[in-house]
Amino acid sequence: MTTATTPPAPAAGVTRVVLADDASLFRTALAELLERDGYAIVAQAGNADELLDAVERHRPDIAVVDIRMPPTHRLEGLRAAVLLRQRHPGTGVLVLSQHLEVAHLDELVGHTARGVGYLLKDRVTGPDFLDAVRRVAADGCAFDPEVVPLLVGGRSRRDELAELSPRERQVLALMAQGRSNNAIADELHLTTRTVETHVRNVFQRLTLPDEAEHNRRVLAVLAYLRSA
Amino acid sequence: MTRHGDGSRGRDGVPALAMAGAVFGAVVLWLADAGRDPDTTSTFFSGVVGGLYLLTGSVTHLRRPCPLGLRMVTVGIAWFAEDLQVSIAPVPHTAGMFFRSVASACLLHLLLAFPEGRLRTRTERVVTGAVYVIALVLVPVGVPFYRSVTPNLLLVADLARTQDMLIDGAQMVFAVVVAGLLVRRWFVATPPARRVLAPVYGVGLVGSVASLLHPALPGSSALLVNEVAHLAALGLPVAFLAGALRVRLGRTAVADFLLQLPRIPPTELRDLLARVLGDPTLRIAYPCPDDPDSANNYLDADGRPVAPRPDDAVTSVRRGLRVVAVLLHDPALRADRHVLHAVTAAAALELDNQRLAAEVRAQLAEVRASRVRIVAAADEQRRRIERDLHDGAQQQLVTTALILRLARDRLGPAPPDPELHALHALLQRAADGLDAAMTELRELARGIHPAVLTEAGLLPALRALAARSAYPVHIVDGPALPPLADRVAATAYFVAAEAVTNAAKHACANQVNVHVRASENRLLVTVADDGVGNADMSGGTGLLGLRDRVAALDGKLVVRSFPSAGTSVHAELPLEGP
Repeated sequence: MTTATTPPAPAAGVTRVVLADDASLFRTALAELLERDGYAIVAQAGNADELLDAVERHRPDIAVVDIRMPPTHRLEGLRAAVLLRQRHPGTGVLVLSQHLEVAHLDELVGHTARGVGYLLKDRVTGPDFLDAVRRVAADGCAFDPEVVPLLVGGRSRRDELAELSPRERQVLALMAQGRSNNAIADELHLTTRTVETHVRNVFQRLTLPDEAEHNRRVLAVLAYLRSA
Repeated sequence: MTRHGDGSRGRDGVPALAMAGAVFGAVVLWLADAGRDPDTTSTFFSGVVGGLYLLTGSVTHLRRPCPLGLRMVTVGIAWFAEDLQVSIAPVPHTAGMFFRSVASACLLHLLLAFPEGRLRTRTERVVTGAVYVIALVLVPVGVPFYRSVTPNLLLVADLARTQDMLIDGAQMVFAVVVAGLLVRRWFVATPPARRVLAPVYGVGLVGSVASLLHPALPGSSALLVNEVAHLAALGLPVAFLAGALRVRLGRTAVADFLLQLPRIPPTELRDLLARVLGDPTLRIAYPCPDDPDSANNYLDADGRPVAPRPDDAVTSVRRGLRVVAVLLHDPALRADRHVLHAVTAAAALELDNQRLAAEVRAQLAEVRASRVRIVAAADEQRRRIERDLHDGAQQQLVTTALILRLARDRLGPAPPDPELHALHALLQRAADGLDAAMTELRELARGIHPAVLTEAGLLPALRALAARSAYPVHIVDGPALPPLADRVAATAYFVAAEAVTNAAKHACANQVNVHVRASENRLLVTVADDGVGNADMSGGTGLLGLRDRVAALDGKLVVRSFPSAGTSVHAELPLEGP
């Protein structure tokens, strides 16, 4: 199902995308959406094997993958996404799901929440989707606002998470979605400085090692994801 | 099957053994005939005593399924073996020396094992074991050191006096011990049990006294007493038989049964029947309620099928015309029909109760299992509908919404052409409508069965419920919950969701608290609001339906609602489930 016509080699600096979804109508519409936003769709795949081949061949910046694909329509896409994360650390993986499937999320995220995302499919009609693609392609992370509270409210890290104030939880939830401090400040109608204070408190209460800011952000997000 | 095979072999085996013993006895009597001292024993007397043990043992065995008959036959054979030493031919005599004491040992075993044919206490087993060691090991070892009148072919040295002293001493000691045991048994026995013991004890006592007196008395008195002792020896096997048959025929069985029936728990009825009828293989079965007339179609108390063994006798227990139970037992019990019938008649009421209890238990278990299956099937159905909505309609709607967005994007943000502008507005309205439809569909799917419940569990689902609520819902959870069965998690969720919805609709509550915790294998869910209270359980609250659902899982649902004191809904669900 990989598109027969080899697309023209994209200009340097253009973000290169591989799309994988077995519903071709949805996939072509998504391709058009991304192309109009300036992305280069280097390949489209209708199943997991085609996806793995396409990424191997094109080494894109990001693969957008539907969780369910043939033959069983269960978790083929997710398994392929986990493989991609192991084999091609340079390729971001954004997983799309018709509804919440958090069971294997931990496996998907692995050791580092960089270049990975998980969105509900509904989001493709809103602004969140293009945002998420951008962040994941740029080695960031993006998690659906509906997924994050479930992860934050999970079980095993509950004691640590209980240390946080509701506001700090909120800030961390947005961090887990991949938002910058500025974006968080906008979202919560706070000053950037206040957000920075909250972020520092979060790091402290989760007793994260004193490392570079970006790493600590990732670790904080991981702490939440592990709690699922 | 195997048991049955052993049983029938045993049944025919003992008479066969007795036949062999009789042949052996005849040979021994012929060999020993020349050596008889006319003052003590005669060939005729010896043959009659041994033969009586063989005969009465066989009869006992055929009429009672227990080892007593075998014990008696063994005494008969041992009796003949002991006689072998009387022979004046050196070879049989020497061979007979080895068996000098076996009859005493076997008789002691029989006495202690009477009337069940089994030793009951440790003391009895130790005493019997010790006597067998003397008779079968020590005495044979002593053979080469015993000089007798008839030449001992194996003689090495003569320690006959020492041996006689030792054996006499041992005999004395064991006689006292056994007498003690028998006296004690007499005193602890119930009157019915004494009736069984009486013949053996009576004959045994006469024989013992006569044997003790005999050496002490002079002349004619001694002869008379000797006759008495001989008669006692003859009477003893008959007394064993009489005692054994008293167990069977005596009213002891019925009397014991009637005495003990009110005292035993119903579960021990079988054991009691087995004991009083003397058949350890006895089983109770009930006619299959679906097919009461069919033979060989029985159920046990737990509703499992019972297959009669080929050799089982089947005795029906009736109340009126109705067969309430059957006893599967050794056919030997039939020899004593009226005891069997008396006991089964006495047991009929209790057996009928147990049959009814077993039937009710089986039906209840079936009903409960079916309620759980109904709940599980409904959950599965809801989950599938939810999934179908997501994968089908929702997927189509998302694709359509995406295409609409592309169409809108092509027109640009604000097309100058009025026609295009109007088209843009139309597309916008279509997109909005589609968004609303998708939201509604998502809500509908969530109401049917929230995906987060399946995917992430009860607490995340409750948190999502709280987050969607228009007024403050506070989820309070205790220590981490154990893994929950799907039906338990779903029931807890639906109870909480219904109670939260009710609080919003009817209670004018400012705050709702949902407590979830596990305690002693139960999941406890409490939803409490600070509203107006006075909730009406009869008024279509949806909680009634949930009460059935909770009951299906063996849980309970309590609603407390007082005017201006708020409403609390409390559900308790077993974690394991029925």
